[in-house]
Amino acid sequence: MKKILSLLLMVIMVFGLTACGSKPAAQPTQPAQPTTYEIAMITDIGTIDDKSFNQGTWEGIVAYADKSKITHKYYKPTEQSTDAYLAAIQLAVDGGAKVIVTPGFLFEEPIFKAQDLYPNVSFILIDGNPHNADYSVFRTAKNTVGITFAEEQSGYLAGYAAVKDGYTKLGFMGGMAVPAVIRFGYGFVQGADVAAKEMGLTSIDLKYHYTGGFDATPEVQTLAASWYAQGTEVIFGCGGAVGNSVMSAAEAAKTKVIGVDVNQSAESDTVITSAMKGLSASVQSVLTEYHANKFPGGQSLVYAADKNGVQLPMESSKFKKFTKADYDVVFAALAAGKIKIANDKDAADVTKLPVSIVKVTFVK
Amino acid sequence: MKTFRKILLGEEFNRATASIIAILIGLLVGFLVLLISNSAEALAGFKIILSGGFSTGAKGMGQVLYFATPLILTGLSVGFAFKTGLFNIGTPGQFIIGAFAAVYIGVTCTFLPAPLHWIAALLAATIAGGLWALIPGILKAYLNVHEVISSIMMNYIGMYLANYLTKSTIYDIRKAQSLNVADSAVLPKGGLDYIFYNDLGGVKDLSTVNSGIWIAIVVAILIYFIINKTTFGYELKACGFNQNASNYAGINAKRSIVLSMVIAGMLAGLGGGLLYLSGASGRHLKVVDMLAVEGFNGIPVALLGLSNPIGIIFSAFIIAYITQGGNYLQTLNFAPEVIDIIIACIIYFSAFALYFRKLLPFLIKKGRGDRQ
Amino acid sequence: MGMEYIIEMLNITKSFPGIIANDAITLQLRKGEIHALLGENGAGKSTLMSVLFGLYQPENGVITKAGKEVSINNPNDANNLGIGMVHQHFKLIQNFTVLQNIILGVETTKNGFLKMDEARTKVMALSDQYGLKVDPDTLIEDITVGMQQRVEILKMLYRDNEILIFDEPTAVLTPQEIEELMKIMKELAGEGKSILFITHKLNEIKSTADRCTVLRKGKYIGTVDVQTTSKETMSEMMVGRKIQFTIDKNPSIPNASHFEVRSLTVSSKRSAKKAVNNVSFTVKKGEILCIAGIDGNGQSELVYALTGLGPIESGQIFLNGKEITKMSVRDRNVLGMSHIPEDRHKDGLILDYTLAENLILKKYFTPEFQDHGFIKFNATHTYADRLITEFDIRSSQGSKTMARSMSGGNQQKAILAREINNDPEILIAVQPTRGLDVGAIEYIHKQLVEQRNSGKAVLLVSLELDEVMNVSDRILVLFEGEIVADLMPAETTVQELGLYMAGSKRKEVVL
Repeated sequence: MKKILSLLLMVIMVFGLTACGSKPAAQPTQPAQPTTYEIAMITDIGTIDDKSFNQGTWEGIVAYADKSKITHKYYKPTEQSTDAYLAAIQLAVDGGAKVIVTPGFLFEEPIFKAQDLYPNVSFILIDGNPHNADYSVFRTAKNTVGITFAEEQSGYLAGYAAVKDGYTKLGFMGGMAVPAVIRFGYGFVQGADVAAKEMGLTSIDLKYHYTGGFDATPEVQTLAASWYAQGTEVIFGCGGAVGNSVMSAAEAAKTKVIGVDVNQSAESDTVITSAMKGLSASVQSVLTEYHANKFPGGQSLVYAADKNGVQLPMESSKFKKFTKADYDVVFAALAAGKIKIANDKDAADVTKLPVSIVKVTFVK
Repeated sequence: MKTFRKILLGEEFNRATASIIAILIGLLVGFLVLLISNSAEALAGFKIILSGGFSTGAKGMGQVLYFATPLILTGLSVGFAFKTGLFNIGTPGQFIIGAFAAVYIGVTCTFLPAPLHWIAALLAATIAGGLWALIPGILKAYLNVHEVISSIMMNYIGMYLANYLTKSTIYDIRKAQSLNVADSAVLPKGGLDYIFYNDLGGVKDLSTVNSGIWIAIVVAILIYFIINKTTFGYELKACGFNQNASNYAGINAKRSIVLSMVIAGMLAGLGGGLLYLSGASGRHLKVVDMLAVEGFNGIPVALLGLSNPIGIIFSAFIIAYITQGGNYLQTLNFAPEVIDIIIACIIYFSAFALYFRKLLPFLIKKGRGDRQ
Repeated sequence: MGMEYIIEMLNITKSFPGIIANDAITLQLRKGEIHALLGENGAGKSTLMSVLFGLYQPENGVITKAGKEVSINNPNDANNLGIGMVHQHFKLIQNFTVLQNIILGVETTKNGFLKMDEARTKVMALSDQYGLKVDPDTLIEDITVGMQQRVEILKMLYRDNEILIFDEPTAVLTPQEIEELMKIMKELAGEGKSILFITHKLNEIKSTADRCTVLRKGKYIGTVDVQTTSKETMSEMMVGRKIQFTIDKNPSIPNASHFEVRSLTVSSKRSAKKAVNNVSFTVKKGEILCIAGIDGNGQSELVYALTGLGPIESGQIFLNGKEITKMSVRDRNVLGMSHIPEDRHKDGLILDYTLAENLILKKYFTPEFQDHGFIKFNATHTYADRLITEFDIRSSQGSKTMARSMSGGNQQKAILAREINNDPEILIAVQPTRGLDVGAIEYIHKQLVEQRNSGKAVLLVSLELDEVMNVSDRILVLFEGEIVADLMPAETTVQELGLYMAGSKRKEVVL
């Protein structure tokens, strides 16, 4: 009894102390912290400077907010789970957020819940659309915008540029065969084919493979190394950390890699260019619309070349022949809708793509 | 009134006081770090840490309980081992192996009906954690290999094994994490969903907390009774205090060491199970090369709770409470990374400051002066 | 008169938190005398000597040398004043030679090289002068304890110390070595050295010392002339009450053979030699059989083997006609073996358990204290309170006192209470009075005899000759793991016993 009592006492003391602490805090919360943050970003797994989705998105927010003089801040969830993401969103809302940007498809479930919990807050979900836990219900509420990208255009640019730069033996290593990855791959094949036609080439070899996951594994690295040993000059590493395994193999074989999603040139000297998604551009564009009271709520937007939704980072690319002028021409054609690219809905598998010069070897 | 005075002068109170002083010292250090990182908002930040889980309403308090659940178990694991003279630094390994076992049963054994399914998953977690501690226990008892070394080894083996097994059996490749466990394997809310939620315009924003916290508290009380009231606990403690004298008294010290380690491992394993059976929106197993933080945090929890199971419940609450408050610091202009440092400072300085417990009686005696 | 004293410590007061270790103590040492410092454990002898040696600073009081006040702040100051000390535990480097140890710290050098020749000459001269025979080139680890003590004495002489402190110097010696030491001390005094002799053994004081200062519980009781004061008076001064020196006991009436050991052999951890070699004996009911010997001759291994705590190589052990050789410790205990261990902190007690928990250490699993796996705390405390009263175990918080916080004597009483209360068939008591004061020793001896009178078999393992001679009914002497003598106390002398113990005499033992 004595022990229980003394422990109770201890708890009372601790919580009493906190109560004393919180009382004065509760009243002057507003004046004590005049800074609220209007634009908030919740980081996905990883840090803010992850050279990937977090960083790309955050750069877009900073660029827009600095220009428009709007307060902004990022919040880090305690862990990677729907509940933790929701808790971070709650923090952001408490911190005065009016619009919350979330990068990565892992936010699809949290935003599905959050869009109902916070009807007065707007959500921008990058690279995904809200759905429930078992994918049975997809719903984008009025206060939410889901943004995806025309990956096939990005892949097209990469394939086109690689062939134009003189590479004739190409490789594609996708992660899991999900629609986004397939679109990248199909675009890559068709871009290479068009470039070959323009250059009058007779044959381009392209090895094509899905690793089945998004992790860096020794198996991926071994396969990439064997491709390089068989003469492959450049591999498009398309799918999370798969690219890192390809880079390791390329570093050993002194060959080249094409990056994905964000500008990966800093990760390895072997990266000649990256098939980028326009994270920064799309965020800036939607934020601009938001502040112009034209928030495209309830929509699932697809960002393509016309809205700078795809690009190659020409300033950091290591091309020998392919120039900025060449790039601008093909990009303008894409943006103008002059180029038709078959995507995952148009061809059952990669060998059925309408290409004539590129010989696709599908590796299972 | 008389009993109250007795409490004030009692041993237990002295210990509780020492823990409170330790926490205050930890908070003071935390405040210094706050001052260094952002002096303008240090005071406001400190108030947020103190208001802890209350900062985010009833849901926030629910989250405190949710975070406290695995800490109670790993704290018990470390504390129980301490009481029996062992330093179980293998909690991260036991924890993650237990977590894997629970999730594996939760994902695969879908033929089991609801209460049986999660009970089976928790049992699997407990057994797996116990097995993971069995090896260091045997090495210690029969080959005199120090348990710290073998358990650190087992931590890494456990982490990589859990990674490997997760990836090869129950992996959701798209999300790069374990598959959702079946609904029948998710721990029931145990009535807590009526308390811990925030009302957002008619919509319930539920806390993750579930009946896991009840289980943790019941287990802590159970361990308290085992340690303090049973002949079994008497034997285990005796071996912890003095192995020679235990042999002299006819206690099988080797057996006691193995059993102590196994029970400690079972507790940590159960902690893993409780944390990871929280449903689709809760925690999932990741394939990361990092030892489970909840495992290591069992050490400061046990220190702060003075290895007393009931004390451990409260110290786990306090640490979860401060952690939750720290998370809320993000509303101020503190970088999330700095916040991690601040919280770590508070927790670990609190644990260190327990050396005050040794100083306290001395200081009181000195204060009393010549009356002695 | 004042000039007569070489060292005077006047009104020395030194306190520690919670205790006044020295309360206005005065000690006056004459030049050329042997001055005994007598007191029980905790009487303040060590504190007083530490003050003299500069290890503690007193709060009050002055120290004078040859009438002049001096301040001693550290052992170097003491050394400079010519004060040297032979500690109870020698401060020698095991793998240095005798000579190297003697000159350690005061080496004479030339250009950074040791000049050993000069040192050797001086050491040999001192060795001859005082009859301290040593071989300067042997390693310390190769010589006997008695030799090591001589090295310590030579160390003091080499440093030209005038005042020599001996801290319980006889505790580790055989009777022959003790006699030798007494002779040396007298010679040193005869040469003009002044000697302070710390002890609690009255026989040694009586045979050696000139005067004796008695301390009790930190207080100065008095200084007496040894020649004219009886042992009884001195002990009364020391303890504060009358002490009985000889134990009243009737001749033993041994019964049937009760505890039997046959050809017991235990291998040694350290060497190829057996720790216990082919030892056989029996203990009868109503008999105290004592195993005597110098420490380290196999007693510990023998006891561990008998009690099941250690391995045996071969041989058999019987209790009440039942073979227990391969039984577990628990089974032996249940069968009626009680054991008062040699080291009460290592084996006998769980210091972080309460007194009550320690008292049930061998019984907690019995129905008396256990119910469905739960300990009956009420029964435990009732039982503990009974033993506390019965055996007069004193502690600050009764049965709830932590064993650690109890005094050595009361800890030993607790063990005794526990073991005797188990109603043993055989009581194995190993050095049961080690480190205890006279009062506690007397009590424990009485209890042992009482056990024997009530018909129990008692096996006493002891290093103390007085104890061996006084308490036992029969004596076996253990030397290098073998029994070298089987004696009756009435038919032998301390001197003869000493010869057996030292291995210089041996008789065929017929068992």
